[in-house]
Amino acid sequence: MAKQLGFHINSSVCANCKACQIACQDKNNLPTAIRWRRVVLYGGGNWVEKDGRWMPNGVFSYSVSFACMHCEKPLCVEACPTGAMVKRADGVVLVNQDQCVGCRYCEWACPYGAPHFNEAKGVMTKCNFCEDLLAQGQNPACVDACPMRAIEFGDIAELRAKYGTLAEIEPLPSAKITQPHAVVTPHRNAQASGKGTGKIMNLPEEL
Amino acid sequence: MNVREWALITFTILAQMSVGSFIVLGIVHYFVVRKSGEKQADELSDRALLAIGPVLALGMAASLLHLGNPVNAYKAVTNLGTSWLSREIFFGVLFAVAGAVFAVMQWKKIATFTVRNVVAMIAAVIGVALVYSMSQVYMMPTRPAWNLVTTPVSFYATTLLLGVLAMGAAFVANYWYVQRKNPGCASEQCVLLRDALRWIAISSIVLLGFQFVVLPLSIALMAASGAAASAAMFVGEYGVLFALRLVLVFLGAGVLGIFAYREAQNAGHERMLSILAYSAFAFVLVGEIVGRFLFYATATHFGLQ
Ligand code: SF4
Ligand code: SF4
Repeated sequence: MAKQLGFHINSSVCANCKACQIACQDKNNLPTAIRWRRVVLYGGGNWVEKDGRWMPNGVFSYSVSFACMHCEKPLCVEACPTGAMVKRADGVVLVNQDQCVGCRYCEWACPYGAPHFNEAKGVMTKCNFCEDLLAQGQNPACVDACPMRAIEFGDIAELRAKYGTLAEIEPLPSAKITQPHAVVTPHRNAQASGKGTGKIMNLPEEL
Repeated sequence: MNVREWALITFTILAQMSVGSFIVLGIVHYFVVRKSGEKQADELSDRALLAIGPVLALGMAASLLHLGNPVNAYKAVTNLGTSWLSREIFFGVLFAVAGAVFAVMQWKKIATFTVRNVVAMIAAVIGVALVYSMSQVYMMPTRPAWNLVTTPVSFYATTLLLGVLAMGAAFVANYWYVQRKNPGCASEQCVLLRDALRWIAISSIVLLGFQFVVLPLSIALMAASGAAASAAMFVGEYGVLFALRLVLVFLGAGVLGIFAYREAQNAGHERMLSILAYSAFAFVLVGEIVGRFLFYATATHFGLQ
């Protein structure tokens, strides 16, 4: 079987510092509004008054860093009318901007919000797994930037052997839709996708 | 809503209207030929046929406005294997070509009546396929409010309703044109106009009934299938617009339809009949545009955005 690249996301140690996101924007020279990798903060619970004191009641939060999942069933590739969105032999999903018509159909199709439209250029852009760094034998920028070593990359089969096959915790969508190539080590308070009681806590401009 | 979304509304409405018009015109022509012969039928429908082309062309031009990089538009038919968007464009172009071939043959009376009929049938079938692929573009798991059987059903309902009423208006316009050019000779055309409009009124009332089943059904399905937020918008945030859409279509296809049916019974009421046909079309067109606006505005995204 051909190698398929993927990410391991260790949500149990992620500190929500967003170094991965900034490293990605810097390396790929992205406009401030475009973030190929994003860190989402998910939380919930409330406070209740008991005997004149306010007590936490199931208060929790945790972070998940995510980017394009370079899916096994990439709905973006299926939807794209021009063939600009392609899945390479190593599993990396790329958008060929010379081919892109800017219809944004891939954006509708992707459950991870991974394709990001560049208004100025009129074409789609997305995480390319730092293909140029990979070609030089280096790591993707997000992986090296993380102070908690919460992001790892490699052959998905090896990552799964090491970390299991979990690929969905809130607020990530169900892995059934596109079969993402990612494994998640859940935070101890992680909730199952679709069954969460919390909500995304980031400010809208953070995501 | 921005230019991009208005481009999609314009494109889908106009393309569906031209497919509907083409089919309705074909049916009317067929019956008129049997009743009054080819010459009278052509006199009734040939100019209406020529009006369909520009409508489709305008719709397709509008669709280009929703692209970020339209210079690559010609590449958008290269993924027919998996992309419904590719298929939509493919059938759109094919329908335009087949429709144009038929229009030229019909206008210049090239080939026999039967041959032209076959060409028209082929174009109509392509039109049906076009509306189907238009609906499939929206059927994706990440858009639960669209991923319902009511999407294709309501696209077809819009196609027929707009087709019927656009052709009603076109017959009226054609009638006055013929009258002006050649007053008096149009008595047979006058009978045909009333006949055609009577059937158009009946069909629009039936289609209205169908719309009024499909619309609540689509909202009920949304509520039941992971798009509750979208369903709620039809009564909350967009309640007024949704009510407006229902009222406009009800007035246009229903109330004006009934009046038109009655006016069409007797000769001498052509002027009144014309006003009714024009306004019914205008009401329903605006109603369907509002409806399509709501279709886009209420679609929520499943997953992260
Ligand atoms: S995450 Fe989205 S953009 Fe990336 S491969 Fe999957 S469907 Fe495509
Ligand atoms: S925006 Fe570009 S990459 Fe995305 S579906 Fe359209 S043509 Fe394909």
